[in-house]
Amino acid sequence: MSGMRQIFKKEMDRIFKDKKMVFSVFFLPVLMMVVLLSIINGLASNMEKDIESHKSEIYVMNEPASFRDVLEVSKMKCQLKTVASEKEMKGAKKEILEGEADLIVEFPEGFEEDIAKYQEGDPVPQVKTYENPSEEYSQQASRNMTAALETYRQMLLSQRVEDMSSLTIFQVNSDNDEMYIQDERKAGGKAIGTMLPYFITILLFAGAMGIGTDMVAGEKERGTMASLLVSPIKRKDIALGKVLALMLISGVSSLIYVAAMVIGAPLMMSKMGGLGDLDIQLSVQQILMLGTLLVAIAFLYSTMIALISVFARSVKEANTYVMPAYMLVLVTGLLTMFTSGETSQKMFFIPIYNTALVLQGILGQEVTMMQFGVTLIETLAIGAVLMGVIVKAFDSEKVMSA
Amino acid sequence: MIEIKHLTKIYKLNKKQMAESKTKNPYKTAVDDLCLTAKKGEIYGLLGPNGAGKTTTLRCIATLIKPTKGEVFVDQHEVQKEPEKVRESIGFLTSEIKLDEQFDVDYMFDFFGKLHNISGERLKKRKEELFTYFGIKEFAHKKIKELSTGMKQKAAIAVSLVHDPDIVIFDEPTNGLDIITARSVTDYLRKLRDDGKLVIVSTHIMSEAEKLCDRIGIIIDGQKVAEGTLRELLEQTNTSDLEDAFFEFYSARKGE
Repeated sequence: MSGMRQIFKKEMDRIFKDKKMVFSVFFLPVLMMVVLLSIINGLASNMEKDIESHKSEIYVMNEPASFRDVLEVSKMKCQLKTVASEKEMKGAKKEILEGEADLIVEFPEGFEEDIAKYQEGDPVPQVKTYENPSEEYSQQASRNMTAALETYRQMLLSQRVEDMSSLTIFQVNSDNDEMYIQDERKAGGKAIGTMLPYFITILLFAGAMGIGTDMVAGEKERGTMASLLVSPIKRKDIALGKVLALMLISGVSSLIYVAAMVIGAPLMMSKMGGLGDLDIQLSVQQILMLGTLLVAIAFLYSTMIALISVFARSVKEANTYVMPAYMLVLVTGLLTMFTSGETSQKMFFIPIYNTALVLQGILGQEVTMMQFGVTLIETLAIGAVLMGVIVKAFDSEKVMSA
Repeated sequence: MIEIKHLTKIYKLNKKQMAESKTKNPYKTAVDDLCLTAKKGEIYGLLGPNGAGKTTTLRCIATLIKPTKGEVFVDQHEVQKEPEKVRESIGFLTSEIKLDEQFDVDYMFDFFGKLHNISGERLKKRKEELFTYFGIKEFAHKKIKELSTGMKQKAAIAVSLVHDPDIVIFDEPTNGLDIITARSVTDYLRKLRDDGKLVIVSTHIMSEAEKLCDRIGIIIDGQKVAEGTLRELLEQTNTSDLEDAFFEFYSARKGE
């Protein structure tokens, strides 16, 4: 036991006594995430502002006299150009295609007259618009024009029909502030539950990956493992000390990332509709369940990484071997993000995937104690089996002197 | 005391290793039915060319590898049955075993002291003694990676002796050291012998074996071909120095 404690303490000292290491393990990833998200957010809001402030170039054919008033009322930023002939229309379409103009609105000839002398049974005049969906400016102009045309239609309609209400017949939710009935905490948990398991599982693994390969394969490669192997402590204690240290480091680093995400995300992603308006409140039971499961996941991941590293001859080799395991964790995390509907009970027996499901379930308050228990026991059991293999490997001269 | 009884170590070679040694036999016998006894108060030298099986023998004693056949007793403890007890009583050093470069000498000394369950007061005393002898004090707080080869070797020796072991095993003790450091190491080995400890070293340097070892075991192709004091070996071969004696044994063995 004492030997294990010493190994654990040395691994902790290796990280915490080295400022550069603390920075690179715990803070650099957070910093990178903050910088990256800020840049994305900045670029996105810049683009949005640019689109909003853009003055749309719009071609109009057979423009009715009353249309310009409607545009003025709608305060649409645009510059209208008239299309007088089919030839000019062709030119305008070319400009739309090339992104030089944003929209064409084509009214039929004699539009206002047709509407004024409309009799029941007459064909309804049609307004055509032409846009380029690959151009942001064009899409924005089209959206604004649709709104303006709707206003125009209402205006013309009010000239034809005296009692507009007679056309409405009934309304839906025009005066009902209480239409949404939901548990705010559950909704918040569910929304965050789709993202958090993904991030947590990935961060737990990523946090342990670099350190774990160095802690085991690195020590073998540098010849420092042998100095531990000739000390009088049991090989089992060396293996356990290292795995526990790895668990703690990955746990702490993922906690820091999650904290940074919860604090930083609303600030950074305000314009991207992220976690900004979510009310994150967890009950004591939820926190306990989350905590227990996270410890089990950290244990499983640490043993996975240590096991891979123990069979590798160098850090480089270990990093190559650990990649498929990382991809597996990434993909299972992604699966929970895109799974909807009822999850079959069998799914809770699939290792790794079940941890992501249960994390999601705890946050959304949808997990049963049975599902939680199965996942927890299975995760710990697999971790223990892997731990057993690691201890065996530490005892094998073939593995340790490779 | 170290007692080696019929030690055999056979390695299984992989395809790459078989190609490198230009052999089709997947088994390589590194040590072949070796018997020897080394007692406290002596420096026992394993002398032999590269690949003779010296390091393999020492690694078996240090519990780093397991014998294929035979037994090795270290102070009555068998290496496979009581490996922890064996490791408690030995100090093992080879150039392949290194100290963690990220820490300073002082930290490493304390760390290994604690692994050996050395109490605080005794650890302090040992540190004072060894750091003074090897002149480590001036670089005790430097990280291992900042040290020169000689300094690293001195640090590694001090760390391997932290628990004041009764048996000290050194694989090529002066390998890569400058002449001054090498002398301080061999002097220290003599001091350990004079303190009643058993020192077992491996070397391929004849002059080192001649000057340092009380008894020498000559190993060729994993087998002990001769054993005795320098004088006994010279008498057996009717030669005047160890190098000539060694070649007598070598040609006798190879000429079989």
